[in-house]
Amino acid sequence: MATDTSETPAEFRRNESWLFDSRVGNLLRQGGLVITGLLIGIFLLFPLYWMIVTALKTTAEIQQIPPTVFPVDPSITGFVTVIESSLQTAGIDTFFENLLGVEISSAIDINVLGNIYNSLFVAVGAGIIAVLFGSVAAYILSQRDFWGKNGIMAVLLASLMFPGTAIMVPEWELFSTLGLYNSKLGIILLYGAMTAPFVVWLMKGFFDDFPTSIIDAAKIDQCTPFETFRYVLVPMARNSLIASFIFAFLLAWNELVFALTLLNQENFTVPPGLLTFVQGFNTQWNVVAAASIIISIPVLIGLAYIQRYFVQGLTGGAVKG
Amino acid sequence: MSYADTAQSSLDRAIQRVPERYRVYLPIIPVMTLVGLFILYPIAQAIYSSFFEKNLLRPGDAEFVGLANYQEIVSNPDIHEVIVNTIIWVVVGSGAAILIGFVVGWMLYEKIPYVSVASAIVLIPWVLPRVVGASIWQFMFSGSQGIINELLLQLGFINEYVVMLGSTELSLYPPIVGMIWRLAPLFALLTLTSLQGVPDKLYEAARMDGATPYEQFRYITLPMLKYPLAIGFLLMLIYNIRNFSMVWVMTNGGPGVSSSTLPVMIYRTAFVDFQVGLASALSMLLFVVLLIFSYYYIKVYNRIRGDT
Repeated sequence: MATDTSETPAEFRRNESWLFDSRVGNLLRQGGLVITGLLIGIFLLFPLYWMIVTALKTTAEIQQIPPTVFPVDPSITGFVTVIESSLQTAGIDTFFENLLGVEISSAIDINVLGNIYNSLFVAVGAGIIAVLFGSVAAYILSQRDFWGKNGIMAVLLASLMFPGTAIMVPEWELFSTLGLYNSKLGIILLYGAMTAPFVVWLMKGFFDDFPTSIIDAAKIDQCTPFETFRYVLVPMARNSLIASFIFAFLLAWNELVFALTLLNQENFTVPPGLLTFVQGFNTQWNVVAAASIIISIPVLIGLAYIQRYFVQGLTGGAVKG
Repeated sequence: MSYADTAQSSLDRAIQRVPERYRVYLPIIPVMTLVGLFILYPIAQAIYSSFFEKNLLRPGDAEFVGLANYQEIVSNPDIHEVIVNTIIWVVVGSGAAILIGFVVGWMLYEKIPYVSVASAIVLIPWVLPRVVGASIWQFMFSGSQGIINELLLQLGFINEYVVMLGSTELSLYPPIVGMIWRLAPLFALLTLTSLQGVPDKLYEAARMDGATPYEQFRYITLPMLKYPLAIGFLLMLIYNIRNFSMVWVMTNGGPGVSSSTLPVMIYRTAFVDFQVGLASALSMLLFVVLLIFSYYYIKVYNRIRGDT
């Protein structure tokens, strides 16, 4: 209870300042707090509101000046366009035309559903690799002492800090040499490599706090270290493992630089897909907003699950929630 | 470590063949292979390339030029502008994000009910795909239909719509605003979590000793929050300096280099101008700065782990 005086019993000392003692000061203080809170709240939330409202406007309303704060004539044209043009780009529009008995025609070249499919594939692959490799390494790094351990941890953490932009040229050359350019496998391995160190740090934090008595008990029961890991630690670490997976998934879902440089149009994940559309000619913002909402849904679901682990994950377990 | 002698599978037998001393390294090999191949090797390659004059489209004829690329960094006025831009980014972006984030975190802890729901909502800007966040801001800053122009017009700051993203003087700032929007929630959550981690009994004891709420904040909360906030501070610096998408989506780093930061400049040098050598030298600059930040990050990290 930092500066909140309202619940403090009378016998405790209060702040000695006119801001707290006088009626005017109190009003000023409370008012200031409310206004600051409101301004910050608007700053943080208005763009989200704007995205939703824009997605619900018609193409004609988007071009109005001044822009309308509440949509006059809410419509889902944006969403329909996204889906129609995706089906068209994927070349399966005739199938759905026959199936649903509606005509699909879209002047826009945006394949959001295809991008989502690519992203899902890549993100799940990267998540599995990161969690598998990362958690095994984290277990050993947490439980055993050996030469080079601190060095390995430092290298892993440093590799997390390095920006993709700084190594994208050599990465591009490497992908060309290995013949991985424009392949989903290549980008999965790369994202796995980018997120595995993160999983190591997160899971090491978990294993460090794990009661040694349980591991000792497993040892006494003649478990090999692998069996201890597989049948004792993994089940108990289930939630942390799922959280790690979601972190890795989200990184792959959001990553732009490598997806842009190492993939071609047909294998684009969501971020470069949206980017080419945003930077194309004659951008229709209601379609962009609708596409944005669609591709944000998996992220929001993931957020709901890992919220508890968020800070722990971001700080590599240094700050516990 | 005693292995049960029932080990039968071929994998187990293969593991048995590795000398006991080195067996401990086996589980680390997959991670290190991946990281080594896809991250450490490219870093080494970047260091190597920075001494060469090399065109991205003709990788064959690279010419050793020694430190010429680094001399280019020192002498090229465009790159100077980019470095100044990057410093502005880091100072303004991190400062504002920390300030706003701390206030939000404190309010979430102190004033706002349903903390877990509220903090999840606050966190949305941070978790949204970066391109999504950036395109919202690009639309809001748009010179023809942008809501921000309309707002400034209504408030009387400007007389007509301004094309901020296309102006040499102003284009640096809209992406910073977008970045503050994205990073402040992260710092807020960090603050909130750290505040929740301060044991209540410390405040009880302080109140018994007659500490005012301000004194409690000054002498208990802040010292307890020192290291978590230091981590947050470093994260803000790191995220700001390595940000690419916010600038690239909103302005492509232009017009000219007026809104480019270091990562954007690296991308442009390599994939627009095809100068691999110069791009690698610029990467080295970024590396060194990030290495310093990472060093302090690890230091603070170990301090926190050591305390608990």
